[in-house]
Amino acid sequence: MSGLPFAGFLVLSGALLAVGLFGVLTRRNFILLLIAIEIAMNAAILNFVYFAAFARAPSPGLPGQAIAVVLIGFAATEVAVGLAIVLALNRVKGSINVAEASELKL
Amino acid sequence: MAFGGVAMVLGVLLGIGEASSPGSYTNVQFTWLKLAPSPGPFPSGFELVMGTLVDPISALVLVVVTVVGFLVLLYSIGYMHHDRGLPRYYAELSLFLAAMSGLVISNNLLEFFLFWELVGLCSYLLIGFYYEKPSAASAAKEAFLVTRVGDVMFLLGIFLFFFVYATKGPAGTGGWAASGFVFVHGAAPFVPVGTGNATLLTIAGIMILGGAAGKSAQFPLHVWLPDAMEGPTTVSALIHAATMVAAGVYLLAVTSLFLGFTALDQTVIVAIGGFTAFFAATMALVHPDIKRVIAYSTVSQLGYMVLAVGAGFTMVGLFHLFTHAFFKALLFLAAGSVIHAVGTQDLFKMGGLRKKMRLTSAAFAIGGLALAGIPPFAGFWSKDDILSSVYSTLPSHPAYWPAFLLAFAAVFLTAYYIFRAWFLAFSGDKPRDPALEHAHEGPWVMAVPLVVLSAVAIGGGLLVYLPGFAGLLLHGGGTPGIPPTLSPTDLLLSTASVLLAVGGILLAWRLWGNGRVAPLPSSSAVRSVRQVLLARYGMKAAYDWIGTKGVYTLARGADFFDRFVIDGTVHGFERTFGGLSDRLRRIQTGVVSDYASYVVAGLIAVFALMLLLAPYLLSRLGGA
Repeated sequence: MSGLPFAGFLVLSGALLAVGLFGVLTRRNFILLLIAIEIAMNAAILNFVYFAAFARAPSPGLPGQAIAVVLIGFAATEVAVGLAIVLALNRVKGSINVAEASELKL
Repeated sequence: MAFGGVAMVLGVLLGIGEASSPGSYTNVQFTWLKLAPSPGPFPSGFELVMGTLVDPISALVLVVVTVVGFLVLLYSIGYMHHDRGLPRYYAELSLFLAAMSGLVISNNLLEFFLFWELVGLCSYLLIGFYYEKPSAASAAKEAFLVTRVGDVMFLLGIFLFFFVYATKGPAGTGGWAASGFVFVHGAAPFVPVGTGNATLLTIAGIMILGGAAGKSAQFPLHVWLPDAMEGPTTVSALIHAATMVAAGVYLLAVTSLFLGFTALDQTVIVAIGGFTAFFAATMALVHPDIKRVIAYSTVSQLGYMVLAVGAGFTMVGLFHLFTHAFFKALLFLAAGSVIHAVGTQDLFKMGGLRKKMRLTSAAFAIGGLALAGIPPFAGFWSKDDILSSVYSTLPSHPAYWPAFLLAFAAVFLTAYYIFRAWFLAFSGDKPRDPALEHAHEGPWVMAVPLVVLSAVAIGGGLLVYLPGFAGLLLHGGGTPGIPPTLSPTDLLLSTASVLLAVGGILLAWRLWGNGRVAPLPSSSAVRSVRQVLLARYGMKAAYDWIGTKGVYTLARGADFFDRFVIDGTVHGFERTFGGLSDRLRRIQTGVVSDYASYVVAGLIAVFALMLLLAPYLLSRLGGA
């Protein structure tokens, strides 16, 4: 356990978050947007897993790993809902550009 | 008419009653408003009374008001018969008579002020009787506005007197607060002058003078009276010669008897009176309008009365008020008779009317002689009494000298201008305007008042030597100047003033006696003087300028302030926040990525804040 490089993982998850945020801010394509959100979320999950590995008694790492698993489930749910919205949007507007869907109505 | 007759009978009866028991008075009053005594400014309570008070001087003025009022109403039947709006005319005239009588018998200053405003209203309505004429409508407005200046000062004067005398007064009365502004009778003023705050009393006296100057057309508020001649001549005779304009003098008289003026006030009043007597007379010298000549003469004669009251000879002033009311009403009614006959007021179109209108011409001449102060006509006794009374104060009051000299010089001007008017109208062979050939006397209802007034104008002055009449001019103890004394100095002074008056008449005869109007001497001095006098020394233009330019500029300034500063502030707030919200609204695009960037920006901001605050937060945690 102690062999794990501390700074390297933080840099990795920070980089993932940055990539995700960059994608969220710059992409107009709904699918790319979803992917970017997934990347940012995975940075968080990675952090949970990683900090769980350093956790001490009385609960050595279990809550962190549990939350990570739950979050993976959340991410899957979110993608499912998101893709459903993409399909619906594409059907109504004929485009999956988020800038087109700015009016809170069909 | 009947109302006027009854009023006259009652007025004369009251006058006789007062005359038969000199010095008595009747005060009928009721409480109108009463506040219980309480700690505070009025420890003995506050009470406002209304009521009527008949004392010698109010009886005297009441006789004038009712007699002249009745005669004018009688005259109106003939003079106004061709006019429309007669119900309005008689209603307003009756209202005026009622208000004027009420003013005279008011027993306190507030009630006095109410009636004072009522007569002002009637004056306004009657000057504007021919309201479809623009000049009449504007003259009515002018009269109302100019007298309003005086009225406001009068009201301020009442307040100031109240402020000084509210809790001070003769023993047992507890001051005005407890006795309600009532004129208290007796030889002495309400409170001996000097027992209050002298500065305030002086200002109060000046304010009262301002009110009187507005009503009695004294300089510098005299401008409205000549223009008031736009009303019917009967109105000019009753309101603007005999009664209402005398209300200012009556106010001064009442104030000087019951409240007293300070020495400084007296000097100012004397100066205003003397100056007005002369100043107005000069403007009468050249005017071509018969009514305006008489109107300026009224201003001038009121100046004499103010002069007398100011110098402390209140009763002498009231005596002149009495004689002047009759001979000035006579002059106006005679002028009205001429106007009725010829349909113009332009003296230069008249001429030769003596042969067609003998009665009118005689009446005008009698009025003129009385006005000029030729013995034994009424005006001589009162005017001469004023001059000799004021003269007697000169050794102790050198400040009265200029006013006395001006008033004395005005005797000459008076005789000249009134006989200039007489010669222009009546002498000569025939009217200068051929259209006036058909002139003839009016009906008997117009003749009777002329005859009655002529009789008073001839003999009214001698009444002062009747013990009963002199009783009307008594107040408390002694009244200096009544009846006129006959010391050698007085006789010398009288001779001088009569000589001046005769000189004025002779000059008028020399210049205008042949009934022809010679072209004005081409010397530019005479012409330019005439222009200045006709332009009323530019005072009317100056007042118009103040009204149209001065006040208008001020109003424009206020408008600018309101529009740009006040509204600007309000609208500025509105525009600032409107613009801000407009811009704020624009960030709500509906585009998801924009919201995402706001979220990120917010996140960064929160983190930055936490980093900045980290040392502080950590120290707090450590402390806990």
